[in-house]
Amino acid sequence: MGDDHRRPWQREGVLFFGDVIAGLSHELSNVFNIINEMAGLQQDILAGAQPKSADAADRLSELAGRIKAQVERGETLNQSLHSLAHSVDDANIAFDLGDTLELVSSLAARRARLARVELVVHRPESPVTLEGDPFVLLLTIYESIVAVVGAADSERRVEVSAAQHDSGAQVFITSADPLPPGVADEIAALEIGHLSWGAVHTLDPPFPEPPGRIILDVPAVAPALNAPADEEGQEDPDGN
Amino acid sequence: MATDRVLLVDDEKDFVEVLAERMRSRGLEVTCATSGREAISAVEAQTFDAVLLDLAMPDLDGLETLRRLHEIQPELQVMILSGRATVKTAVEAIRCGATDIFEKPTDVETLVKRIKAARATRIAHEDDVAEEHIEEILRKRGW
Repeated sequence: MGDDHRRPWQREGVLFFGDVIAGLSHELSNVFNIINEMAGLQQDILAGAQPKSADAADRLSELAGRIKAQVERGETLNQSLHSLAHSVDDANIAFDLGDTLELVSSLAARRARLARVELVVHRPESPVTLEGDPFVLLLTIYESIVAVVGAADSERRVEVSAAQHDSGAQVFITSADPLPPGVADEIAALEIGHLSWGAVHTLDPPFPEPPGRIILDVPAVAPALNAPADEEGQEDPDGN
Repeated sequence: MATDRVLLVDDEKDFVEVLAERMRSRGLEVTCATSGREAISAVEAQTFDAVLLDLAMPDLDGLETLRRLHEIQPELQVMILSGRATVKTAVEAIRCGATDIFEKPTDVETLVKRIKAARATRIAHEDDVAEEHIEEILRKRGW
């Protein structure tokens, strides 16, 4: 009973894991398939060429370089999976917002690529330390980015940046072109961050103008850490 | 003897380039496309014996590309070559007229054999169409 208020975002979290892991796994399969074909091509070259042919040696050397590049791509994808898995380790820690943004960037890259949107993420110029559950903030920023990427025209650029603001931070998700008005409803439906972090989305410029960017105000400390408990011991996410 | 012509469609550039090279070394004439739109332009511009098509692609996905390719050339033999075809997408692809579904990785020799068979099917289809056309002419002229 005491954890009832967590259920909606826990369900969101499971859906998020499924979605992101499916995407990363697909990308890893692409890497393996490319390496598999490159290995096959190496066999073709060895089977068809003279053993000491300079041309065959050059081709094999070039292929080795391309295999190495694919292995690096696979390792980057694997690191994202590893970081994602550890993002749920501790619900009450101090962490750097820049690390969260970098992880979000790698997790949202496939969504952006499939939407033909260029996603660029900038780390804050100086570290911004927040306290709370990094996974909940990761989920909130990811869903905000996905809403904006989905609404942006293809072949466009979406930039994500952040800065210290008061004692907390602001995260900016900026589209190169004004977004369709419907994105306001999608953003309004993102209650996860509000419930768990007290994080609030605002549109810039405000409704009814078509928004060009979403601003996410994030308190330095998630309210769940210090919110007063009610009679049953349940934390009130709104602090009432 | 004419060459078997195949169009490879996959958004992974490295994948299509390497598979194309392997198929060329086995005597096929290969054209590459890295998007559904490029594939449509290629089919509008020339005739292929077969198309090998990926499903998960940006912009136009494989199923939508398949539908549009068949609008241009209904008898075109399109085979799906996908990393993660689910039963649902496989059924949908067959409904849309795909002739085969291959899951990556598939042995290149299997693909080449299937493409050569597709060429034979296309030629047989063209022969049937030509025969029907000749019979129609003969009927009209009362010969």
